Formats: sequence, structure tokens, C-alpha cells
Amino acid sequence: MKIIVCCKVVPNEEELQVLPSRELDFGGVPWKISQYDLNALESGKQLAAGGGSMTALSIGSSEALGASKIQKDILSRGPDALKLVLDDGKPFQDSLQTAKAIAGAVRAAGEYDLVLCGMGSSDLYFQEVGVQVGALLGLPAVNNVTGIKSAGEGVLEVERTLENEVEVLEVPLPAVLSVSSEINVPSVPAMRDIMKAGKKPVEKLDCPDCGGASLRTLEQLAPEQQERRQELVEGDGDEAVDALVRFLKKEGF
Amino acid sequence: MMSMQTIFVISDEAAVLTELCSGARAAAERVTAILFQGEADAAVAAPCGADRLLFCQPSNGAVMEDYAAALAEEVKKEASALVIVNNSIRGRCLAGKLGVLLDTAVLTSVNSLERSGEDLVCRRMVYGGMAQRSEVFVKPYGVITVGAGVFEAAAGGAQAAVSPFEGAPQGGLKCISRAEKKEGGVDLVAAKRIVDVGRGLAKEEDLELCRRLAGALGAEVGCSRPVAENNKWLPKSNYMGITGVQVKPELLLALGVSGQIQHIGGINKSRVIVAVNKDKSAPIFKNADFGVVGDLYKVVPALIEKLS
Repeated sequence: MKIIVCCKVVPNEEELQVLPSRELDFGGVPWKISQYDLNALESGKQLAAGGGSMTALSIGSSEALGASKIQKDILSRGPDALKLVLDDGKPFQDSLQTAKAIAGAVRAAGEYDLVLCGMGSSDLYFQEVGVQVGALLGLPAVNNVTGIKSAGEGVLEVERTLENEVEVLEVPLPAVLSVSSEINVPSVPAMRDIMKAGKKPVEKLDCPDCGGASLRTLEQLAPEQQERRQELVEGDGDEAVDALVRFLKKEGF
Repeated sequence: MMSMQTIFVISDEAAVLTELCSGARAAAERVTAILFQGEADAAVAAPCGADRLLFCQPSNGAVMEDYAAALAEEVKKEASALVIVNNSIRGRCLAGKLGVLLDTAVLTSVNSLERSGEDLVCRRMVYGGMAQRSEVFVKPYGVITVGAGVFEAAAGGAQAAVSPFEGAPQGGLKCISRAEKKEGGVDLVAAKRIVDVGRGLAKEEDLELCRRLAGALGAEVGCSRPVAENNKWLPKSNYMGITGVQVKPELLLALGVSGQIQHIGGINKSRVIVAVNKDKSAPIFKNADFGVVGDLYKVVPALIEKLS
């Protein structure tokens, strides 16, 4: 089985600072593999171990993807090769443009059986890119996948967990699956994987046509801090607990 | 850019139809609701405030997302429109497909929809709750998903004209089995009181202590992301945050919760937040109305005793 795993490199949101203007300060914020794409990489690795190959595909700016450190980070998590679409002119700020870029790159990659995506990116968290890639390629697409196993030649049995039920679907390949964070616990690359990563091929692809933007951003600001009373008692003895009980009573609980 | 004056509301849950239509009604002149339920449910849902209500009971194993092509055709009868889909996993799958068929992007978990002149302004959280982004669609069509509790359900909504939706499903996947989830899913969105468990809890067995407190308060138990995703001590449906459930109870009692921004984004609509944490510098205290800087293993048993 030939597997393509999409993975996004994003600014580490935990290190973003809020400016007095409530705008975000991206200056000096390190890049990381989007958290939920680690689940997609792990799924790809497990499936490829059962016989197959795995290529990672990442699309973004050269600032995000150009450094060999992040490329090696991706390659240490199971892929045999990495394909990159570097484009500094396109912001990839909406789900359709991103999906068009991925669909174009997947088409250019030639033969494949399965495209895996994470459930949503840590930065914009649309949770839609995988489904849109599938629809653009005219392939079956399933979101929130919690289990994948082979069900014979060219068919997967896919478990998808919905809010109140679990369904098992028969998915003919090729297909696009977005995996849930519940599907696995991403493994930490071993030293051997990190050493090997540097020797794996990295190929740069041209940016496919991804059409015009669907959205215009008006503003992006940190939410205003909700006013809270911040009454504080210190200690865990009777006095503190009594103060807490008094507070709860006063509030009508 | 033409003004989007028509909104389609698509849902497979009747319960959220009225609130989604109320939100749509406040932003646009014409509202069409499409409910993936049978005729009897549609009749009950008719006073949802939409102008018309189309219903469709998926048959032969088809599910809502298989109707993407038929729905796109219905939407395209309007030169420009916004589509609101209920923010369920199936809803998001349908929304993505609709987006491609309508050649537009999808905005999920939109938390505010407002008309500003010609524009429909959609707001949602980005960067794990660090910022709220306001966007407008610049194409003839737009697709968004909206969860329960975002819009107020307006009382006395107009009676919609009810008729069947004639579209047929297409390209559905064969479903081998479908089973109810074993874990009892809690409805945290509807909960009035929530005990919020964080990483300060030392081991899984100690959840019992949190459950006893929840019992004494008449509360549900929710948690922060690591407790569900890393420890897997509680089902994923119990975790609150930007990428989890967004709640608005009367009381939220956070136990051993540090207060990461992405978690705060899920709980900050609570009327009252109380926090117990032994780390005085934990950010949760900045987001709490009342805080106890102390050991939850001492505070919680004493609190249970005093409450019961």
C-alpha cells in the first residue's frame, strides 16, 4: 500500500505572545509539527509496517518548512521520503485553498492508495482539509477515523467514532482518511530513527494551482480577558474550605 | 460582492434546528432549513423560524453526508448563499464536501455570526484559543458549522412551510456495522454544574473522589485535554477546550487544572469559576472567581463532607 501522510508545520501556539493591541506576536515563535498530524504520521507508520511505503507531504512557507531540522523531525516519524510544496506567496489561510494545493501535489505524486490527514491543525483547526481533499480528488473521504485495518485487496475497514455511535465502514482505495487523536499514541522517534532521517530524500514540488481565496480576514485579536473576581484563599485546612463553602452558598449553589 | 441574503440551515439533529434558524434569521432575509429526519420530526420542528423546512429521512443505509451533491444543487438555486451545518462530526464531513461542490472554504465551530452591511461576519477561535478571527466570505457561497449553544433559540418562531427534500444520496460508503458508544456520553453543553478535572489528579482511581464531589453538587464531570487524550481516564467527549467541548454552566469547579489558554477557551463562558490548585501561579486563578491555593486531596474530601 502506498500511503501519503499530510502534515502541517505550524507556529507553536503555546509560545505566542499577545501584544498590548491584542494582536498576536509571531516573532521568534518556533515551528512544530501540528499536534494532530503526529497521529496521522503514526497511523501511516503502522500501516506501512504491514507492507507498503509512506511519503510525507507538507505545504507551507519556506520559513516554516525550509529548515532541515523540521524536515528531519517529520522524516524521523516513519516516512520513507518527504515531498514539500514551498510557496511564500500563498498564505494557505483557508480550507479550500489548502485542500486544492494538497490535491494537486497528491496528483503530481503519481500512484497512491491512501492519503492520511490529522483531524485538524493546531493553528487554524478547520477539521475540513482532509474531507475537501477527498472531494476534490473524487475519492471517498472519512473524518474522525479511530481505526484502520486492511480488508483484502484494495479495501480498508475503517472505524469512525461519532458523538454517540461507532460505525465501521468499508472503504475502497484510493481514499482519504482524517484520523482522530484517539486512534493512537504517537511514538517518540528513537535515536536510530533520527539518525536515519537525515539520509531520506526530500523533494520539492511546484505549487499547484489553488485558486483564489474564499475568505477575507477582517481582524484577528486575542479574546478580551473575562472579568473574574479572583478572590483567593491560601491553605487546605478547615478555614479555606469553610471560605469556599461560604462562597458557594453566597452564589446560590 | 453580492450580499448573502439567503441562509440554508442543514442539520441531522432536530434539537438544534430552532437555535440555528434563529441565528440565521438574525443575519439574513431568507432562511431555508433542511432536516435529515422523518416527516413526523419535521412537523414538530416546523416552528423553527425558517421560511421553509425541507425534510429527508435517509434510507437504505444512506447518511446525511451522502446528500452533498443534492444539497449543493438546492443551494445553487440561489445566486449567493451561506450554508450553516450543525457542528457534528457528520456535519463537518458534509460541510467539507459541500464546500468543494460550491467552490468555497469551510469555517468550523463558528461562535458568532453577524451582519455588517453587505457582509456576514463569521468569528471563530484560532491558535488554540489565543485569538478570535473575524472573516467574511468573498465568494458567492460560504459554508460554516455552528455548534449547540452559540445562538439563542428565539421563542415564537414563525411556522415554516414543510415539504420533502427531493434529493437522492450519492457515493455512500458501505456501513458494515453501527453500534452505540459504550461509554456514557455526558452532555456537558447542557450541564448546569461541572467538576473540571485537570492534570493535578495523581491517578485514575482518584476520579472517584471527583465523582463524589460531583454527586454532592449535582454536577457532571469534565476534564482538560491531557486527562482525556494522554491519560485516557475519561472519554474524549468529556474534555473541554477549544478543540473539545465549549461549556457554559452556572458553576465550574476546576480541580488541579492549570488553566492553559486552550482549556480556558472551553470554559470561560461559565457564570462562576472556582479553582483548587496547589500552584499559586497557575493561570487558572486569573480566570477564577474564587480560588483555593491548596492540595485538592485535602480540600475535596472536606468539601464533600461539608456539602453533604
